[in-house]
Amino acid sequence: MKMTPNMRKAQENMAPGVITADGFLGDDKRPLQDMIVESEELLRHEGIDIDTVVQTLKDLMEEGRNGLGEPITVDGKWIVQTTEARGHLPCPFEDGIYRKITTVVRNIEKEESIMYSTISLHLLQKHHFLEGKGSPFRLEPVQLKKVLELD
Amino acid sequence: MSFITAPLTIAGVAAVLAALIAVVDRIVNNYGECEIDINKGTKKLTVKGGEPLLGLLSAEGIFLPSACGGRGSCGACKCQVTTDVGPHLPTETPYLTDGEIADSIHLSCQVKVKTDLSINIPEELFNVKQFDAKVLSIRDLTYDIKEVVFDLGDEDITFKAGMYVQIVVPPYAKVKGTTQRAYSMSSRPLDNHKVEVLIRLVPGGIATTYVHEQLKEGDSMQLVGPFGDFRRSETNATMVCVAGGSGMAPFKSIIHEMIDNNITDRELWYFFGARSLRDMFYMEEMRALEKEHPWFHFVPALSEPQEEDNWTGDVGLITDVLDRYIKDKIGVDTDMEGYLCGSPGMINACNNVMTANSIPLEKIYYDKFA
Repeated sequence: MKMTPNMRKAQENMAPGVITADGFLGDDKRPLQDMIVESEELLRHEGIDIDTVVQTLKDLMEEGRNGLGEPITVDGKWIVQTTEARGHLPCPFEDGIYRKITTVVRNIEKEESIMYSTISLHLLQKHHFLEGKGSPFRLEPVQLKKVLELD
Repeated sequence: MSFITAPLTIAGVAAVLAALIAVVDRIVNNYGECEIDINKGTKKLTVKGGEPLLGLLSAEGIFLPSACGGRGSCGACKCQVTTDVGPHLPTETPYLTDGEIADSIHLSCQVKVKTDLSINIPEELFNVKQFDAKVLSIRDLTYDIKEVVFDLGDEDITFKAGMYVQIVVPPYAKVKGTTQRAYSMSSRPLDNHKVEVLIRLVPGGIATTYVHEQLKEGDSMQLVGPFGDFRRSETNATMVCVAGGSGMAPFKSIIHEMIDNNITDRELWYFFGARSLRDMFYMEEMRALEKEHPWFHFVPALSEPQEEDNWTGDVGLITDVLDRYIKDKIGVDTDMEGYLCGSPGMINACNNVMTANSIPLEKIYYDKFA
């Protein structure tokens, strides 16, 4: 699929070592546009509404902040840790800067977890991008359903 | 022959245009030598124009704080530029308040020096140096926090407890450029040939990943510092300090500074929060200090102690424990000052507890991760 110059620039910014150590693409070498189309299809297939899931993830991030940097149990279901580091990170699409806030949500019973940041949420909500396969911050739809118990 | 004439003509025109652009670029973008006047003549530098202010200053041994190494993503390298350098760039404004914009504060990494400039920086930045350090030791304090001690060799660092240094992370693995990150020093100011920092692994973080996965004892690393204005006040008010995780660093330094300076007439309460025992560290060291120095009170608390922890200490969020202790042990009528190190969320939560217990906001000092 043909990529716009903005999309090409965003993919360059997503490479390892440009904004973060591991970058946003994981092991996926395909054009970013193809990855985004696939992200949208995967989410549709799993019946996940982007705005709803982003809101749930934001709520858990906020709950995690009550732990003041340390892990905290939420609703007896999840152990959530929200940590904040100094500084900001720019979005690879160059449409905003975000505080370095990272949340890890672990489903206690299922022993499965997801990790996301303020940028992950922006990438998902605004650009419909789950991050590339193999990226530590990829929000895999099947994993999202399992950890958040979306069924 | 005509089939080759057209491409050759186009190539010729393109070559002439390229040469013209190169010549114009050399003339238009040649800013020649520029003078940077710092703090109304305190220091004057002559530099070659055309480069960002931050880099030109550091090349001359003047180091402004910068956690991103000039990429415009940390907002730390602020300075006042009194010469008109045009409107603020869109890359600067997200990091500046309206007041700072009105005061001509700029991000020095975003100001390209094209003419003579006058700038103002805090005087203490003249004391900042770059050090070629060696890693003396690396110790796991928890599963995600490491204590790293650097040897400065013949160099020494003069700092007040509470200040921080920037470590310069070299290119590694897929990371192409150098990266700078700021960490509070946990070492004793008296031990001025060494710098100790506590580094918690941030998932995906360039610097913390390097320290946790690549850095070894004996490795060389550049440090820049000292920076920061988080420090103990010179009053006799009871110090109420709160931290969690790597926020331990400045308080360890402050406590040792007080011991080294024989300050025995000032109470210090140190509240340290963690979820469970595996997140807790320096317990024995703090307990030993507490036993030896009656003015020092260490209050570790676990928010969710595990069964196997056999924890008999305080339980609850550190803010709840803090509230209880101020009311029951320290006393709300005591003259207190607050000292905090942590994320903005933690600082805000502690601010609320402290102000509700009669500590005025202007007497709460903090090292905010912002």
